[in-house]
Amino acid sequence: MTIIETSSRVEHQIEITPIEDVDYKVLTKSRYFFDWKVEQAYEVYKLQIVGSSEILGLISLERIPDEWRVHIRLLTASMENKGKDKKYDKIAGNLIAFSSKIAVSEYAEYACVSLRPKSQIAEHYIDKYNMISTGMTLSIEVPEILNLINLYDHGK
Amino acid sequence: MTMENKKNKGFIEDAEYGLDSRYKSNKEYKSEATSLMEARLNRMKNLSKNQIIRAKLMQLKLKMEEYIKQPIYDDRNHFSDFLKLYVDTIYSKRNRFAYDINIKPIRLSQVINNHREPKDEFIMKLMIHSEKVYENICDFHKKTWYQVYFHEKICDTMSSQEKWRPELEKDIKFSELIE
Repeated sequence: MTIIETSSRVEHQIEITPIEDVDYKVLTKSRYFFDWKVEQAYEVYKLQIVGSSEILGLISLERIPDEWRVHIRLLTASMENKGKDKKYDKIAGNLIAFSSKIAVSEYAEYACVSLRPKSQIAEHYIDKYNMISTGMTLSIEVPEILNLINLYDHGK
Repeated sequence: MTMENKKNKGFIEDAEYGLDSRYKSNKEYKSEATSLMEARLNRMKNLSKNQIIRAKLMQLKLKMEEYIKQPIYDDRNHFSDFLKLYVDTIYSKRNRFAYDINIKPIRLSQVINNHREPKDEFIMKLMIHSEKVYENICDFHKKTWYQVYFHEKICDTMSSQEKWRPELEKDIKFSELIE
């Protein structure tokens, strides 16, 4: 999995790993938007360039086995990776693809990743990630979820 | 661009920064989960056999990759379990797979049921078969089956030292010790 440095278009190999207790010290609300400490009861993962300790993106997830679903609770790129002046591209996409891999690994053909963004930004997720809208919830399922994984999970 | 459009454009640029997708209450979760499940069950009815097989094979690949990443000390036979899943996902009869890779059905059955170790040739044929099967599904590294096989060997050997070590240690001599 890779992200792209927007200024040079250079690709960087990334890794997505579980957050460690020591990481919470650097996860400030000003840089990562949320108070991530409140998510400690859930699965929280960080995205980093391989060999770098800088956290570029975060996601917290909830597995809902009864519904064959992984629900994205919180998702963010770091402050310097927001908007049109972002340093790296594809951070959120990689985190959503990572969630999709968990869902497919757990639930195969029943796999589903869901999120419920504010209505103003729902269109972004529908257009960019091919998500489907059901009421307030957006989801990605088979077969689109497999395409999303393939789009991001290559070149290891 | 109108003010409204500018405002929406601003939102879209930041759509991947600070997404809060948490349910506000259990009632909200239950209501949305029920609607989502209904919609999904309807969509699932339209999945083709081919799409289901592709999802299962992607799952198998991801499970194998997870397995080889970490030491797992258990009593399961991972290689043969993965092999069983692979064959049963693609073929309605295991004999057809045996025919396709030109081995006797009894040999396949023995490997799947852990009555015989797979020979190198068996794993190589499996590697070639998987390359072709996964070609249009997802990345599948040709090393994967070998990695699973040897990972299991290493984990089994390390976790059963109390069984084999005492006897073998008696056989080991150090006629030229390095100081």
